[in-house]
Amino acid sequence: MRNPVLAGERVYLRPMEAEDAEAFARMDAGETDTFMYRHRVPSSPLEHAHFIGEAYTQQPPGSISLAVCLREDDRLIGSVGIYDLDWLHRTGETGSFLAPDARGQAYGTEAKHLLLEYCFDRLHLHVIRSHVAETNTRSAAALGKQGYRSAGRVKWDEVKNGRYIDGLIFDLTRPEWLAARDAWRAGVSVASSSPAPSPPPARPA
Amino acid sequence: MGIQDLRPAYLRGASVYLRAMVEADKERGAAWLDETFPVNASRAEKTLKEEHTDQWRRGERRLAIARCEDDEVVGSVRLISRDRVRTCALTFWMAPWRDDADALRGEALGLLVHWLRDETEVMVVTAELPADQPRTIAAAEAAGMVRNATLREWFGRPDGRVDCLIYQALNPRWVVRDA
Repeated sequence: MRNPVLAGERVYLRPMEAEDAEAFARMDAGETDTFMYRHRVPSSPLEHAHFIGEAYTQQPPGSISLAVCLREDDRLIGSVGIYDLDWLHRTGETGSFLAPDARGQAYGTEAKHLLLEYCFDRLHLHVIRSHVAETNTRSAAALGKQGYRSAGRVKWDEVKNGRYIDGLIFDLTRPEWLAARDAWRAGVSVASSSPAPSPPPARPA
Repeated sequence: MGIQDLRPAYLRGASVYLRAMVEADKERGAAWLDETFPVNASRAEKTLKEEHTDQWRRGERRLAIARCEDDEVVGSVRLISRDRVRTCALTFWMAPWRDDADALRGEALGLLVHWLRDETEVMVVTAELPADQPRTIAAAEAAGMVRNATLREWFGRPDGRVDCLIYQALNPRWVVRDA
């Protein structure tokens, strides 16, 4: 593993490096889904390089982005982050992105668990939020499995297929995260109405 | 030009008005600058100049909230616009030493909602309000805003935490299919 911040069974999180820029641009070019955003957009390695160059210059940071890599071969497969950090109120907003060819293999779930561990166990945040377009049912379901609870919806948040669509808001408090983490480790469901989540990644020795 | 010349007639209430920021505001940074830690005049000036670079392109604007009777700056509001979907989010910061901040913010919010929704044709005005600010919440509801989401325990207080209430005003003159 290269400069890991947190490591799970199959994936680990590390700071982004300048040479990751081309890989992120390739992921955007290969995007297969259209329901997550308003539309797909080709991105340049130059803009990713600029973002990465600025990402770790501010202390304390207003946001933290981390690369998601596979343990088996160090391949970069996506990113996770905590944004709009408020160090006084101890809040932030989480986000994640996985390359199209890395989806459907539970890498995203493991990466998100690591991010939540980073938010609550290392940064000691009290509550976090997340926001998805109502058309992004996959991410909304994933948030539910991770312990987030519905906080409501913001109206007319985006435009899609000729009409306005809403944004779905979720939040997760520290006590709920601790309970969810313990439940995951015990291999039981967080909420009876939700499908049983995956067991947590084993922690490396 | 005096500061009185910058008072917009259309953003003026009984107690407060909203105006563009000016360089002299750097001397009162604690009243309007929503920084985590204290800032001096030099830092406030830097922020002012950064915020007024490429402002039209950035879709973000800060307005000072000032008292009508003496022009004292008592806070600020940031307007974050997403022009492609015609929405605007409001973020308030009030001078921490004022006991009447809740009432002044409420009046400013009412002025802004009417201006944004009824004059600038914004589709949605959004404001995230702490649940312990009853005057502001009452002003939001009086202006036609509706609470659409609640983030639990979002703001820290000396004696605990309070929820964040997400209020929105939708533009009723626009016809939106299936919204």
